[in-house]
Amino acid sequence: MASDLDTLVRTLIEGEREQALKIVSDLVNKGMSSVDIVTGGIEEAMVELDTKCTVEQFNLLEIMLAGRAVMAVIHHLFPVDDELPVPRGSVVVAVLKGDIHDIGKAILKVLLVGSHFQPIDCGKDVPVAAVVGAAARSGAPAVCVSGLISSVIPQVRALKPALARAGLAHVRVLAGGAALKQCSAAALNVDHVGQTAFDAIAYLDSMGEARDG
Amino acid sequence: MDSLERIRRAIAFQPCDRPPVIAQVFAHAALACGRTVDAYLSSGTVAASCQLEALAHYHYDAVFAVLDLTMEAEALGGEVQWCQGLYPSVSRPPCAADDDFERLQVPDPTTAARLPMVLEMAKCLRHASRDEFLVVGLVQGPMTLAAQFLGMEQALYLAADDSDRFLQLLDFAAAVGEAFGLAQLASGAHLVLVFDPVACPELVPPSLFREMIGPRLAGQFTAFRQAGALGNWLHIAGQTAAILPQYGALGVTIGNFDYCVDPEALLASLGRLCLTGNVKPLSFVTDSPPDIERAALRLLQVFERRGGFILSSGCEIPPESQEANVTALVRSVRSQKRGQD
Repeated sequence: MASDLDTLVRTLIEGEREQALKIVSDLVNKGMSSVDIVTGGIEEAMVELDTKCTVEQFNLLEIMLAGRAVMAVIHHLFPVDDELPVPRGSVVVAVLKGDIHDIGKAILKVLLVGSHFQPIDCGKDVPVAAVVGAAARSGAPAVCVSGLISSVIPQVRALKPALARAGLAHVRVLAGGAALKQCSAAALNVDHVGQTAFDAIAYLDSMGEARDG
Repeated sequence: MDSLERIRRAIAFQPCDRPPVIAQVFAHAALACGRTVDAYLSSGTVAASCQLEALAHYHYDAVFAVLDLTMEAEALGGEVQWCQGLYPSVSRPPCAADDDFERLQVPDPTTAARLPMVLEMAKCLRHASRDEFLVVGLVQGPMTLAAQFLGMEQALYLAADDSDRFLQLLDFAAAVGEAFGLAQLASGAHLVLVFDPVACPELVPPSLFREMIGPRLAGQFTAFRQAGALGNWLHIAGQTAAILPQYGALGVTIGNFDYCVDPEALLASLGRLCLTGNVKPLSFVTDSPPDIERAALRLLQVFERRGGFILSSGCEIPPESQEANVTALVRSVRSQKRGQD
């Protein structure tokens, strides 16, 4: 079944949704558990996607197609959300007030799910207070904001102070998107600026490793 | 040597008295002359006067007949969301995935929604130019319009899942851009900048650019050239190193490159394509004049021998940019006088 899992990984990376679902059905029929398919197939695919992205051979369309295939497999394996394996943690995602471009957030959400995090989606064009509220309610250790236009920068800078005022100074803030990735973390008053959505995942992974280690 | 001649010579790789400089200033023009972004976006004539005041203030070589990037979608019935002090955004695309794209009607730029405001702006600017400085029009490229007309996710999925229908949408988007661009040329623009950021290899594979988007851009540029455009400017923001070498074959005479593209690595593959770029746009907001001058002088040094270069930012200079930084960009070319005017 190991070679079937390898095939699944390649099929997911290529974004072949129907083919991926067929392979998964075969694996389930052969007795492989859903959790093993997630860890051996989906999470492996995410690691390889990250590598491809790093070497600049990848683009948004291919990430979207791979993400769509991953989500189809997850919904096939866990038709009811409650049945999903216990996530590694929740992460708040948002596009701040004045910006309604949310394709970056959509991609990040897919990668978060594929990497076994639970995204808490605040939506787009949302005020800082709504993001702070979501972080407080969910207990998420991190907030990710995506920005395509430079006018959201003052709000990004205001996010950490607002979290601190709400007693959430420990919550890490990550920024990304076409406008925000031109800035340094210090200039944005955030903990990390991701050049890609995979950067954000790597940072979240490193947070988990630091906590666990 | 006046600004227009300077631009002509840069496109033709001929010597200039100094390198031309085009600050990609749109709504920043309003703030630079004490008006608001909302006032700028409300009227073609107000926007034109802001552009002219900013030109007189900064002394760069071109002005833009540009308002915002929602006009084509709005003219097709899309919903636009306005926020005080900001550019509007398309909040509901005008098309749905199951629409018959072949039955869509290209809006008439002289009557549809706010498109005539841009034509009025081009007319005012050309009148003021007296052919001494460049008047640049702008249309969005076919891939970017396709993404606006259907929504980004829907358009990208359509490109992957049903290429025949995607090409119908792309053809329609190209026709909308071509009609708008031709109307801008007829109203006074010297050339039309085609802005197609969604065609960037960071968003779609280079093969999709080569096979689907490129031929439609080439069709637009042929039409603009036949209508008398002084040149054809293609502006794709982001990391475009993989597709820049194709621009010349599409009829592009000015190729924009964004801050993340290293021009030195590409020069050998670009032939006689005039390049424009690439100071980081956000630097105009966050950095200081010495930072801008340092970046500009490095670019001028890279292109000193080659020529065919217009100093600019990698993309639009954000409205909230510091005036001193725009001034620094323009000042950097003054030290490059070559005594050929």
